[in-house]
Amino acid sequence: MQHMSTGERLLRGVLITLALIFFLFPIFWILLMSFQTNADILRIPPSLFFTPTLDNYVALITGELKTASGVLKLAFMQNLFNSFILSTASVALSLVLAVPAAYAFARYKFRFSEDIAFTLLSFKFAPPLLVLLPLTIYFQQIGLANTYIGLIWVYQLITLPLILWIVRGYFEDISPDIEHAYRIAGHSWAKMFFRISIPLARPGIAAAALLSFIFAWNNFVFALVLASADKQPVTVGALAFVTASGIQYGQIAAAVVISIAPTLALALFAQRYLVEGLSLGAVKG
Amino acid sequence: MSALDHSAAATATKAATPARRRRRRQRWLPYLLSLPALLVTVWIVIPFFTAIYYSMLRYRLSLPQLKGFVGLDNYLNFLTDGRFWYTVQVSLLYTVLTVVIELVLGLGIAILLQRSTRFNNLAAMLLLLPLMVAPALAALMWKLMTNPNFGVLSYLVGLAGLTDFRWASDPSTALFTVILVDVWVYTPFIMVLLLAGLRSLPKQPFEAAALDGVPKTFVFFRITLPMLMPYILTASLFRMLESIQQFDIVYAMTQGGPGNTLTVFQVESYLQFFQFTNVGRSAALLMVLWAITYFLSNVFVKNWLRLRERAQGVAAE
Amino acid sequence: MTTLELQNVTKRYGKETVLHGLDLAVADGETVAIFGPSGAGKTVLLRLIAGMAEPEEGEILMDGEDLIDVAPEDRSVGMAFQNFALFPHMSAFDNIAAPLDARRAKREAIADGVHAIARLLKIDHVLGHAPRALSNGQKQRTALARALVGAPKILLLDDPLRNVDAKLRFEMRLELPRLLEGFGSTVLYVTQDYREAMALGDRIAVLMDGRFIQVGTPEEIYLTPATVAVAELFGDPVINLFDARVEPSGGGSVAVVGSARLALSPGYANLYGTTVTLGIRPENVAPAGAGTAGAIAARVAALLPLNDRLVRLLVTDEGAEFYTSRDFGGETAGEGARVNVTAASQDVILFDKASRRRIAPEGEAAVIPAAPVGREHRAGRVSA
Repeated sequence: MQHMSTGERLLRGVLITLALIFFLFPIFWILLMSFQTNADILRIPPSLFFTPTLDNYVALITGELKTASGVLKLAFMQNLFNSFILSTASVALSLVLAVPAAYAFARYKFRFSEDIAFTLLSFKFAPPLLVLLPLTIYFQQIGLANTYIGLIWVYQLITLPLILWIVRGYFEDISPDIEHAYRIAGHSWAKMFFRISIPLARPGIAAAALLSFIFAWNNFVFALVLASADKQPVTVGALAFVTASGIQYGQIAAAVVISIAPTLALALFAQRYLVEGLSLGAVKG
Repeated sequence: MSALDHSAAATATKAATPARRRRRRQRWLPYLLSLPALLVTVWIVIPFFTAIYYSMLRYRLSLPQLKGFVGLDNYLNFLTDGRFWYTVQVSLLYTVLTVVIELVLGLGIAILLQRSTRFNNLAAMLLLLPLMVAPALAALMWKLMTNPNFGVLSYLVGLAGLTDFRWASDPSTALFTVILVDVWVYTPFIMVLLLAGLRSLPKQPFEAAALDGVPKTFVFFRITLPMLMPYILTASLFRMLESIQQFDIVYAMTQGGPGNTLTVFQVESYLQFFQFTNVGRSAALLMVLWAITYFLSNVFVKNWLRLRERAQGVAAE
Repeated sequence: MTTLELQNVTKRYGKETVLHGLDLAVADGETVAIFGPSGAGKTVLLRLIAGMAEPEEGEILMDGEDLIDVAPEDRSVGMAFQNFALFPHMSAFDNIAAPLDARRAKREAIADGVHAIARLLKIDHVLGHAPRALSNGQKQRTALARALVGAPKILLLDDPLRNVDAKLRFEMRLELPRLLEGFGSTVLYVTQDYREAMALGDRIAVLMDGRFIQVGTPEEIYLTPATVAVAELFGDPVINLFDARVEPSGGGSVAVVGSARLALSPGYANLYGTTVTLGIRPENVAPAGAGTAGAIAARVAALLPLNDRLVRLLVTDEGAEFYTSRDFGGETAGEGARVNVTAASQDVILFDKASRRRIAPEGEAAVIPAAPVGREHRAGRVSA
């Protein structure tokens, strides 16, 4: 490994470059498309050289697409808003619920503790439609169909187990003596929890929150089944947009760029914790 | 010193009340902390049992008057139903192909990037980006790139002589196309896990082998691969679990089409439910899928726990 | 006034019992050193007293009050952990201030308290540092300051000198008794170092395999160890042990070790004819004149420097090895030299060969069972 021949080094360089091209080209190309007019997009052969335009983004943001045949209404901003609401609220609720539970599972060996922890984990692995299809019927009956609250509730199945298992690992890493020392110094359990345990697990909590936000944001099937147009996030909305806008490919590309930008940005932020989070703590990054 | 009297008194009380007092809060605390999380998520068992019940009904939303309990008929019908076996076949094919391709590519890239140099780390970070793209949106991106009219990929394969390559719209290449998207999205997952695994391997065996002049292929197959096995196993089981359930990419790309080419489990159940409104059949299909994932997830959790314990151990050192 | 009492304290983890019915009464202002090998259950005992775990059986009484229903924060206990257990996200100042902060003390009062104790422990210049920026010695002092600052009724020190370097340990061993004296707390001091136990404890409780083997003053433990194991744990080099037969001789009794005959104190007549385990501490193996009756003839097998002393490994003609740390007068007893040694009758300790317990001579005042050494006693001791 230490000594590489020039040939081997060259081969490695070529292979890594090929991998980079394959995995980054689609993102790059869609980004280009989002700055092109329809005429540029439809030109054969495709070209890297064109006059960039912000029209696609303007149309998405104003919600109005002016075409020769008239003005077309676009609901994309609503989708974007929905994505933010659903993801943020789901993560916030999951944090409130899962962080104390993670602490309990990390610190105490109580009856059924492992069973409960694994039950929560198993929700992550079951086929989502198995639950979602009967749920459409129930949600109609109890009035949760097509509501933010109903969706946020269901989103807990994605965000909660993730946060629980990542944060649990971080709590386990805190020496119990440190917590005991604070109790002995005269502080109640609650004070200890908020002043010692939570601050010391903060990196893990932040990483879990970012990751679960990404997963919530990227979710497709939950909202596809349970939400109508006005509550749909970008993942579902963008697809509907394709059918609605017909051949407005520039706007589709711009919508995709806007939709994936937040998760890509967060991923770069949370880079350090991604590996650990993706493997639910099985691999330290 | 009154200690003696004291202990005598204490012994007397102890004999009178053998049951020990306990700090009550201490005992209830763990339940108090974990209960809210549980309450918000356990309702999932209700639709789950409903699904089991549905799977034993003749139940079409369009024909409510026919609704009735049929026991295991939905399952028994599967045995002789070509459409069901096609779903099994295409789902397994999809799973095996995606996991194998992603494993080979992911492992290859991880080995290329094994040394922790600045360039390698930057490349690893960039290669991770497709994993952060919502699979449904990834499908949309590839759809734009494979559009027969203007798609850049259609143009490129046209240059290579495949002028009538129709990607996802052609039954003969649809599976290939969705697998391509799956590989694009999920290879980074395997890559990043195996890279972390590779970098956490102890150095000594490799240094010893290098000193002894052991051939590199031998080192790879006899040292690297066996030591990496737990990571490979966990990563591929995880991927299998997701792949057999794949919905987002297939649905966003083709809605199960063209025709019925890509009716993998969840897509088929979705179509059965919403398109054919055949609730019973849809639920039975999902139960079959659930049985498969239940088995896989048990195997997965065992491996994952072993790895997780080791990771905690490493962190504690 | 704070007394601490353990009554039949038993702790189990699953099926394993780690503490077996411990009884101990600690007087107000007394320092009891809990001494024992690692794994004996010393730390577990401190945890029970601090309220971090609960005993399955038995009571822990503070000033006569049962602690079982008292939460850790209400026990008025100060504890210094072996691994320091500093709050890593707080400065040294905030670490030390934690007990005062818990009482909602005024900001100025907290600052005064922290600075006073920090000056006493010579860490006032590092109060702004985070724990990871402190040296091990400073960490240890910070942990100690945190335990002391609230003037707790009971002070639990869990081997506080274990993780500091030898020089600092030496200094602290001298410094700590004065410091503890000043605070007047009742102290339990856990240690694995018998010298520390003897230097710091008014009494020592020897804990082995979850049982108190012996509780007594350092002198009692050293001079009349309850078992062979206790004798072996106290003293360096380790106590010399021989098989010996007790026989009458003239008016008194002797112990026959090989060809040597060592005079015994009176009171062992009941042992005539039995074989016992005989213990002599290395510092009591004294050179004997050439003609001394019953002396042990031996050859110097090795010279081992130990701290400021020179220890000699001796081998008898029968091949038994033993140590002496007594001065033989320069080079006269170098390696290979032949020497005669003996021990005074009061320095010979006899143990039962089977039970390995000490055999007290008849007529010896019964060992006072674990009498607490109160504040008055100690004051006398210190001024003496």
